Amino acid sequence: MRIFRIIQRRVHSVLRRSRADAELQREIEIHIHELTRQAIAEGMSEAEARARAFREFGAIERTKEECRDARGVNRVQDFTQDLRYGFRILRKSPGFSAVAVLTLALGIGVNTAMFSIVDAVLLRSLPYRDPNQLALMFNVPLKRPDALAGISYRDFTEYRSHNRVFSEMAGNTFHDLTLTGAGEPLIVNTADVTPEIFPLLNAKPLAGRTLLPEDGKQGAAAVAVVSENLWRSRFGSNPALIGQSIVLDMRPFTVVGILPAAFRYPEGAPQQDVWISVLQDPLFGPLTSQPRVRLLGVIGRLKPGISLTKAQAGMNTLSARLAKEFSAEDSGLTIRIESYREAVVGNVKSVLLILLSAVGLLLLMACANIANLLLSKATSREREIAMRIALGASRARIVRQLLAESVLLALLGGLAGVLLACSAVWTLQPFLPSDLTRISSIHVGGPVLAFALSLSFAAALAFGLAPALLAAPSNLQTSMREGGERTGQRGGQHVRSFLAIGEISLAMVLLVAGGLLIRSLALVTSVNPGFDPRNVTEAEVSLPQFQYSKPRQWTAFSGELMARLQAQPGLHDSAMAAPLPMDRQGQATFEFSIVGNAPLPRGKSTTANYSTVSPDYFHVMRIPLLRGRFFSRQDSPSNPKVAIISETLARRYFPNQNPIGREMRFGFPPDSNVSREIVGVVGDVRDVALSQKPGPIMYVPFAQAPLYGGEVVVRSSLSTSSVAAAIRQQVHSIDKALPVTDVEPFPNALGQSISRERFRTFLLGSFSAMALVLAALGIFGVVSYSTSQRTREIGIRVALGAHPRDVLRLILGQGAKLALLGLGIGAVFALLLTRFMASQLYGVSATDPLTFGAVAFILFGVSVTACYIPARRALRVDPIVALRCQ
Amino acid sequence: MPKPSDLLQGTLDLLILKTIARKPLHGWGIAKRIQALSGDALSVGQGSLYPALHRLENQGWICAKWQDSDLGRPAKVYSLTSEGRKQLERELKSWNRLSSAVQLLIQSA
Repeated sequence: MRIFRIIQRRVHSVLRRSRADAELQREIEIHIHELTRQAIAEGMSEAEARARAFREFGAIERTKEECRDARGVNRVQDFTQDLRYGFRILRKSPGFSAVAVLTLALGIGVNTAMFSIVDAVLLRSLPYRDPNQLALMFNVPLKRPDALAGISYRDFTEYRSHNRVFSEMAGNTFHDLTLTGAGEPLIVNTADVTPEIFPLLNAKPLAGRTLLPEDGKQGAAAVAVVSENLWRSRFGSNPALIGQSIVLDMRPFTVVGILPAAFRYPEGAPQQDVWISVLQDPLFGPLTSQPRVRLLGVIGRLKPGISLTKAQAGMNTLSARLAKEFSAEDSGLTIRIESYREAVVGNVKSVLLILLSAVGLLLLMACANIANLLLSKATSREREIAMRIALGASRARIVRQLLAESVLLALLGGLAGVLLACSAVWTLQPFLPSDLTRISSIHVGGPVLAFALSLSFAAALAFGLAPALLAAPSNLQTSMREGGERTGQRGGQHVRSFLAIGEISLAMVLLVAGGLLIRSLALVTSVNPGFDPRNVTEAEVSLPQFQYSKPRQWTAFSGELMARLQAQPGLHDSAMAAPLPMDRQGQATFEFSIVGNAPLPRGKSTTANYSTVSPDYFHVMRIPLLRGRFFSRQDSPSNPKVAIISETLARRYFPNQNPIGREMRFGFPPDSNVSREIVGVVGDVRDVALSQKPGPIMYVPFAQAPLYGGEVVVRSSLSTSSVAAAIRQQVHSIDKALPVTDVEPFPNALGQSISRERFRTFLLGSFSAMALVLAALGIFGVVSYSTSQRTREIGIRVALGAHPRDVLRLILGQGAKLALLGLGIGAVFALLLTRFMASQLYGVSATDPLTFGAVAFILFGVSVTACYIPARRALRVDPIVALRCQ
Repeated sequence: MPKPSDLLQGTLDLLILKTIARKPLHGWGIAKRIQALSGDALSVGQGSLYPALHRLENQGWICAKWQDSDLGRPAKVYSLTSEGRKQLERELKSWNRLSSAVQLLIQSA
């Protein structure tokens, strides 16, 4: 209540300020009148009495000012006045204002843009109900808790019905199916799910229904839920689609519902078109009965009040029971539970935090620059300020006024910064790596604007406070007398030098970080992947499994396609493989055992990546043969099963032995126990990522281990488009209903695989470039200001016969000293900070001396060059003018 | 410019409150009364009285009204509010505590 009355009074007094001032004036007049009367009564003349009254009363204007302060009017009133006045001042020096606002806009802009990404990826809540209750589950070997694997359908049903920590649990996997009968054949990204996933994620259909528990039972009718996008693009938004049937892989499914376009799971995943029960999937359906095949990703919703640790403990008990009960498949396995949020954003978190700190440093530098500018300005305004103090302004009042100017600057800069951020987010969107989850939802919204606004005020404080405090002089007389040329300067110069040193050290930190990333990107891109991607075009062909249900058909199809392609002019170098290195769908990893070796201890296994390839694959990809032979057309289904292994596999598992002629057992699930004779050893290939060292790989002939499709690779001097057209034409000459997708030059696909590295390097690289410019501007400002202050001194030196070289050395020396100090401090900070990004680096250590050296050299060079301009100007000064100038 | 220390400022507030607690007074009257009561020892810089008055008014402890006065013309007359009366009691209490503490210190020193 009292607060309310105070506010009321304040508002009242603001509104009636002129009346309040008049009353105050009258009150003081009465007082002075009485004082005078008293003095006259004591026998003074009227003039004397009046003079004494004024003396006794003290400074009238100051009293009035203090009264206004006491009333609290001034706070509000002064602030608007200060803003108006500040605006006038800014308009009076448009050059300064433009530089300051632009610098600030840059600082706030990059911060806001970065924050909008962080907001979208890390902060904004996930689009599911109570997302913190969501957890993912993986099977892991007891010995290697990091080797995450899926969960078999049988174990999933066990976990789901016997656990006491999850209120609901659902499984999912993905499969590309071919949609026919609705225009051109189309590959649709199909989510194979258990029906619980819809209530678990609170997915509400646009029309119809989602899958019901009955739909997930063995022997249920085949039903499907389609996405809004597919419904609109392929079925003309026809509401009658519900109840009709669509054909997936040549098999009819009845559409029961349509899900809104916004729904997808996991949310960072590519657009999903169709949802069906995993039991209905042509490939995975039959595999659900095989407890060795761990094909399901499993998500659960924790019961209220159950923590992740509690859930982990509960599930441990359950999985230990399963390991005993189903020891054939599950011994040596346990379960690992991860928070869904952590799993989704975990791997981008560190990169984003690094980038966010980088832009934070940039903003600090921008603030330091503006503080420098303001300091120089404030010094030249010292006389004006001294005058205002003499007229009764308190020191606090002056500081407030200067701060108001800073706030005005910051708000203008913030506004420009937000515009910059909007355009940056808009421009950068297409270049963002696709694995930054929820990328489509990045926009400059409420929280981001609030962030930008608070950033502006923080910046205003950061760059406005020191100049404002320094500008209000404590010794009035000297300021008045000397006209603001000498006083306050010592302190000011120190602060300025300190700011410049700070800026250079911040720039050093950013440049080192940027340099390390650039170097590691250069190393990654120049790394030899083990094959030659140039002039290779890839395309994906996939066979609908209801029509092509037998492996024999797959073999026949690939043989036919290869024969037809290779007969085309210029397409002789054609092959097929599944998967390719850096395949978007990931690599296949299988356990293997070596025939003749002692069996591995329980719970231990050896694994290698697996690829099934046509005979010419190694030749087309230019993967060198090290021993033995390549596959040939003789390696047909009827001949003995063979395999080729990579150099790493040979070295690691056949140390000092000749692997040729030995046998290994491995394979795609139905064939997992088939033994194959090793006929060749080929060079290593980086198949997971360019930045990952090659692991062991086993190759099998496509004819002996066919798949329902694969990747066609063609090495040709023809253009990609004509190669693509030829592949399409040949595929369709065999079967018109077969889709050919993802046709692109292989180097593009490689580029995709490092898009994230490239993106963050691009960002951090541009931030370092900005830092370099800001640091150069900073040191330029300091040195040129101090040079202009020393014009007279330089004039005297020149008049006394100093050589231009000496003057040059004097000024450059000052800059060099600042630069070296900054470099030293920056190097220490960089050493301390860059180890946090060690995990992001490839092939270069976080303390790489070459990077540190090069950065220091560049930064020093740029700093000294920035000082050269004021130095030249000082040299051109005519000593006579210089001596007269003060 | 020298600022009155917090102690002095607090003392001035106390004096003003105490003075107008007896009867409402205008600024000139308050100044005279403080001067007379303290025997000129505590004579305040006359100008600094007014900011103090305005501050107290702003706090809601005193209120002011222009009315006819003994000066022969209307003057701004200050009187204590009920909040001000409470504040005066609080200030008196803490003042008494402080002065007796100082007294004790001086005696035992």
